[in-house]
Amino acid sequence: MYRSFISLRYLVARPTNLIGVVGIFVAVGALILILSIMTGFLEESRRTIRGSLSDIIVEPYFHGFVPGEAIPDRPGPMLQTLRGLDGVRAAAPRLQWAGIITQSGPDADKFQQIFSSSTHASLLVAELVGVDVLTPWRVAAPAIALSTRARAWVAPDFRIQDEFDATELMGALRRVAEDEDKTQDPDDELTELFGRPRAPVHNPLFPFQPPPEYVRNGRPLASCIVGKQLFRSLGLARGDVLEIGTVVPSKEKGWNLNNRRFVIAGTFQSRDNEMDAARIYVARSELADFLGDSKTFSQTLVRLENYERDGERLVREIRETLEERNLILGGLNARQEVRTWEQFRINVLRAIENERVLMGIMLSLVLVVAGFTIFAILSMMVTEKRRDIGILCALGATPRGVLDLFLLIAFWDAIVGATLGTVVGVWSAIEIDSIERWLSSALNVQIFNRNVYLFDHIPSVVQPVWVGTIVLGAFLCSLLFAAIPAWRASRLDPLVALRYE
Amino acid sequence: MTLSDEKGDVPAHAERSAGAVLRARGIRKSFRMGDRRLEILHGIDVDLLPGELVALVGASGAGKSTLLHVLGLLDRPTEGEVEVHGRSAWGLANPDRAAIRNKDIGFVFQFYHLLPELTALENVLLPAMIAESRRSFRKMRKDYTERATGMLERFDMTKRLKHRPPALSGGERQRVAMARALLLNPRILLADEPTGNLDSATGERVLDLLFEEQRLRGLSMILVTHDDRIAKRCDRILHMEDGLVLADSAITIPD
Repeated sequence: MYRSFISLRYLVARPTNLIGVVGIFVAVGALILILSIMTGFLEESRRTIRGSLSDIIVEPYFHGFVPGEAIPDRPGPMLQTLRGLDGVRAAAPRLQWAGIITQSGPDADKFQQIFSSSTHASLLVAELVGVDVLTPWRVAAPAIALSTRARAWVAPDFRIQDEFDATELMGALRRVAEDEDKTQDPDDELTELFGRPRAPVHNPLFPFQPPPEYVRNGRPLASCIVGKQLFRSLGLARGDVLEIGTVVPSKEKGWNLNNRRFVIAGTFQSRDNEMDAARIYVARSELADFLGDSKTFSQTLVRLENYERDGERLVREIRETLEERNLILGGLNARQEVRTWEQFRINVLRAIENERVLMGIMLSLVLVVAGFTIFAILSMMVTEKRRDIGILCALGATPRGVLDLFLLIAFWDAIVGATLGTVVGVWSAIEIDSIERWLSSALNVQIFNRNVYLFDHIPSVVQPVWVGTIVLGAFLCSLLFAAIPAWRASRLDPLVALRYE
Repeated sequence: MTLSDEKGDVPAHAERSAGAVLRARGIRKSFRMGDRRLEILHGIDVDLLPGELVALVGASGAGKSTLLHVLGLLDRPTEGEVEVHGRSAWGLANPDRAAIRNKDIGFVFQFYHLLPELTALENVLLPAMIAESRRSFRKMRKDYTERATGMLERFDMTKRLKHRPPALSGGERQRVAMARALLLNPRILLADEPTGNLDSATGERVLDLLFEEQRLRGLSMILVTHDDRIAKRCDRILHMEDGLVLADSAITIPD
């Protein structure tokens, strides 16, 4: 009984103990807040990547084939095979190639200036992505006319629309349309300089339709959809013409230099800034034509009915089936050729996960510092309370009881500190967005730049398991650091204290 | 009560020690001071009978306090044995010895030794808190509190129950310490110069209370003192010099 009674009395009567409590409080609160934010980033990134990526990506190793045994260079057989599998909702081919922006005409000087600046030089190289999209002449006109007028995102129930949904472009276009209503940041210099950063495509159902601003002059041009960042940095506008050059393999000459002009039909916005700064979407048939029909597809994107349920099974099944039918190289390469979205973006996800672990380790040091504080305070207290220890022994306390008494002081420190830390940590993790906004306006500094990150809010997810682990860690740390002074107290000779005043 | 007495009356000795509540045999205590070994007690035998009030007198450095600490099981003798109620104390496990200190022996120190963070009442309750588990203390809290309050009231401390030691005078502190020593009704009371730090009037009053309690409760008590007048009020006087009990004199109380 006396252990808890006296330890509590010491805790209350001695304000220095509060330093230990504050240490634990800060450590637990900071750990919960930061780990919640990191977990939020991780989950939000997964969601973002998930939202813009199909479930399974098939990327055949064309170059690995022995001549004569080459897999078909048209996507037809692969699509047919994939669509025939149970659990596959849609499969769409995609063609990727690299291009260089080679603007000529009246804008040439401006572009040269942009590209010669070191900060924008990377914009010169574009990632060309060809996707299959509904074209007006392939579907019944009345249904499209209706949905176009309503600007609704209700997709007509056509197989091809499902396939389009499997591409990243669908989500990226939807995001532009959704963001269109949101107010622009008036302080944004780029907006002032280059105008609106977003230009949604005129008709999202037929994104490669020429925009109304386009004035046809001679041969009609194919349309392209440019990433938001690229669009903004180059100061483009919907209806502008963009000239792109590329190099394609040729049987006769080795390499051919091609270039072509595209009309800008609008912008897309993925949640990956790098993608938005480099990618240009065109219709796959146009890109294949631009490349001289040397390639018609490089990837096949697969959307499943239920990824969580069938994902693992279908990845294996797809590998086996495609290998059996000689549609991928297979063997040891099969693992790389057929990947889930998580495996495809594993580096990004791993990087965030690593960051989370690193932050956790760094912040655990705060806990260790708090532990040291408890150690210092208790050591001081044991020296100071030598006489009390002697008195307690004379009254019948055992060394074990004295040990417990001092351990209990650390235990109370941990209870009070960890409780306060958990409450404040969880609360601030939940309210971090409004706290950041308030702090930003109070300090007149933008703490979280919503234009730089992928998200328009600070994501945070409080995981009870983590909170529990942190609290447990706080207790262990406190008790561990308290053990040495407590043990010293229990080994004190009570007589030394009792003999003299 | 006797000294290490070679020519002692063996049958009488045996008779005395048979009924002793506290019995010590051949107590030696030495300390190491650098290379030297400093012997404080040179083989002392002590028997304390039920209800006996014994004064332990001697010059400073004679070993009175050391002997008291050995008898109170606070200090392990280098040689010799201490028995409490017939049980050899140093053969027991630490918790059992602590339990004897808690329940069978009461201490009153010269410097009171109260815990400054606790009120007077809480200080008195401390032995009960040590004796009981949290649950049983809660159950008996009322009894203990009544007992402690009753004692403090008897010691004229009614208005000082909630005061902390720094707010009490020396005499008041010593009365709290006495109440604390008596709370669990120990059979043995060891007092180490209980009035040594008090002015004579206060000391007198405290001592009266202490003797009264001893008589009422039939306590066996050893009182360390420098003061011959106090010693003469005891049943026996043990004279100590250089770590030995030189004389053991029974006092004849005049009618």
